[in-house]
Amino acid sequence: MPGMVSMTQPIQQSFNPYTENGGTILAIAGADFTVIAGDTRQSEGYSIQTRYAPKVFRLTDKAVLAVNGFAADGNMFVKKVRQRLEWYRHAHAKDMPIRAIARLIQTMLYARRFFPYYVYNILGGIEEDGTGAVYSFDPVGSYEREACRAAGAAQSLVQPFLDNQIYFKNQTPAAGTAFPKHLPLSTVLPLVIDSFTSATERHIEVGDGLEIYVVLARNSTALAGLQSLRGVQEVTGTNDGERVFVIRRDLKKD
Amino acid sequence: MSIMDHNGGSVIAMVGKDCVAIASDLRLGDRALSISSNFQRIFPITDRIYVGLPGLGTDVATLRERFRFRVNMYTIKEEREIEPETFAHLVSSTLYEHRFGPYFIEPVMAGMSKTPSGGYKPFIAATDLIGCLNFAKDFVVAGTASSKLYGVAEGLWEPDLEPEDLFETISQTLLNAADRDAFSGWGAIVHIITKDKIITRTLKGRMD
Amino acid sequence: MDHFPTNWGRPRHEGFDAYGTFPIHQRPTNGPKDAFKEGIERTQQPIVTGTSVLAIKYKDGIMMAADNLASYGSLARFKDISRLHAVGNNTIIGAGGDMSDFQYIQTILDDITTEEFTAQDGHSLGPAEIHEYLSQVMYARRTKMNPLWNALLVGGVKDGKKFLAYVDLLGTTYSASTLATGFGGHLAIPLLREAVEGREDTLTEEEALRIIENSMRVLFYRDARSLNKYQVAIVTEAGVKISESLKVETSWSFAEGIRGYGAQTQ
Repeated sequence: MPGMVSMTQPIQQSFNPYTENGGTILAIAGADFTVIAGDTRQSEGYSIQTRYAPKVFRLTDKAVLAVNGFAADGNMFVKKVRQRLEWYRHAHAKDMPIRAIARLIQTMLYARRFFPYYVYNILGGIEEDGTGAVYSFDPVGSYEREACRAAGAAQSLVQPFLDNQIYFKNQTPAAGTAFPKHLPLSTVLPLVIDSFTSATERHIEVGDGLEIYVVLARNSTALAGLQSLRGVQEVTGTNDGERVFVIRRDLKKD
Repeated sequence: MSIMDHNGGSVIAMVGKDCVAIASDLRLGDRALSISSNFQRIFPITDRIYVGLPGLGTDVATLRERFRFRVNMYTIKEEREIEPETFAHLVSSTLYEHRFGPYFIEPVMAGMSKTPSGGYKPFIAATDLIGCLNFAKDFVVAGTASSKLYGVAEGLWEPDLEPEDLFETISQTLLNAADRDAFSGWGAIVHIITKDKIITRTLKGRMD
Repeated sequence: MDHFPTNWGRPRHEGFDAYGTFPIHQRPTNGPKDAFKEGIERTQQPIVTGTSVLAIKYKDGIMMAADNLASYGSLARFKDISRLHAVGNNTIIGAGGDMSDFQYIQTILDDITTEEFTAQDGHSLGPAEIHEYLSQVMYARRTKMNPLWNALLVGGVKDGKKFLAYVDLLGTTYSASTLATGFGGHLAIPLLREAVEGREDTLTEEEALRIIENSMRVLFYRDARSLNKYQVAIVTEAGVKISESLKVETSWSFAEGIRGYGAQTQ
């Protein structure tokens, strides 16, 4: 009988070193800021393991890493990236620039090409020239710099929405006008929140809480509108000039 | 790879203020190979009801004819036009008759239904391939781009859109979702149904 | 002795390679081989298993419970084993899954406690450190495809801070005010969350005990691999206490009224 376990011979059930822990992450780059966000639910199958397990991590004052996929691999990967960044700091007396972190992440991921970290990474922050940057990776290290990217369980729900609202895909500007190349923070933040409320509505693995990291370049104009927001907290670590904020919001828990 | 993804294609329907809209892409494929960029899978049932049939191409043709036959039989027996609610149940039971050897189609319906007071109110519904009905109040989606359609529609849709605004919303939703789906795209068609007229527009889309 | 000169490698010459940087090529190793390499035993499935562990935060600290059963498949094999283990004065761990792997974990935890004690540096391992250590061990073993087949809860209080976290055979970790392993994750967690969430700092020991007792009863009613004999561990600022075995009070009188499942005369 197909699909039934044979009783006459022993079953070979080998150990599966991977699982999926749900959740979604997202990052959008502005002209002089970057927003990196993730929900805080961690699940396995239909069980919610915890309503608060962060997926977004401040690496330096110019780089924030969001990690999504297999949580154990994700946490270990962040731990190892941080270790390498600390070594760099001890060797060079400065924080590693974000494009170097991006290349570092590629080599670290590709080093495990034949037993991959089962994680999708999105690195967001400020480039050395002061522009907002988003780098997205696949589990084995392929990466590119982009203006916006969603990953994780609800990637398919969020990414086309972002294509439309960030890249203005399938839209034409009114005659004699042009779409802005970069959106202001006051436009980006509501889009991030809307993306996650939409994903929460239609995807069971997304919800509980939302953590939005905002990285500002030196003298970023986005600072003014940011500090008056509800639930905003500054997590800047140095006096280099870049500033990091985190905004926490509730998402539906069902 | 599921049979449901063999030919590709997606359909979406939305409710507006005294209007409904239904839209589909125009691609017909053979797995990854695109065959046609003018494949119609939305059909008029009455002057006020449209049905979209995303799924296996051969079943699109079969079901279209089956529904035509059954609606004609209904019209003859009842001597009146079928209402959208009734048609939704007709679709559901037609599919459920084949519970254990189903048509690989997930129909989406949109129409204006008569109210007892003589007015019209918007109606949309969708079913799965064995006829489980979903009467939504906002929008319904189906097809290979369904997850993308859910995401974009959830972000763009709002209540009480006027016909032209509803047209823009459903078009943007479909186009942007189809652009992220390898099996949908190659142009689109949109129908806006109001109580006294139907506006049909064919949209250009990315051809890759 | 390797008799193949091509495998001996090239001697280094200080003249042109003062620091020994000359590339050393990958050559086949002809050293002693592990003749038993193919025969290394790995835990590919659990044998003697424990079922759920429950834990909650309450006013004074952490409360954890596990029954006394170690099953051999569907056989209730050992009915007086303890699945709760104290580590130092601030930490309790509870284990579901393979009991031999758990006993191995107990020995390594005892080893590091001893080592930490002998250092006499004024530091002691708290629950957070024990959990971090365990999660690194568990993750390292899964990465070697040789897992310790357990789901563990680690709880405790140190320096006025309550700690409660989970780690399993994959190295997956998380923290919450109510945790459960195995079947408890499905049956007990909804009850525990309802009773505990938002009341972590007000629940008394008696209330916490009632919540735990009730959850253990539900598990005994519905989890076929559970036992009506369990222990409760309490970790407070005062230290770790693991109770004697307690009995789950059950009532089966309702079963009398059930009709329709077996042979009944009427």
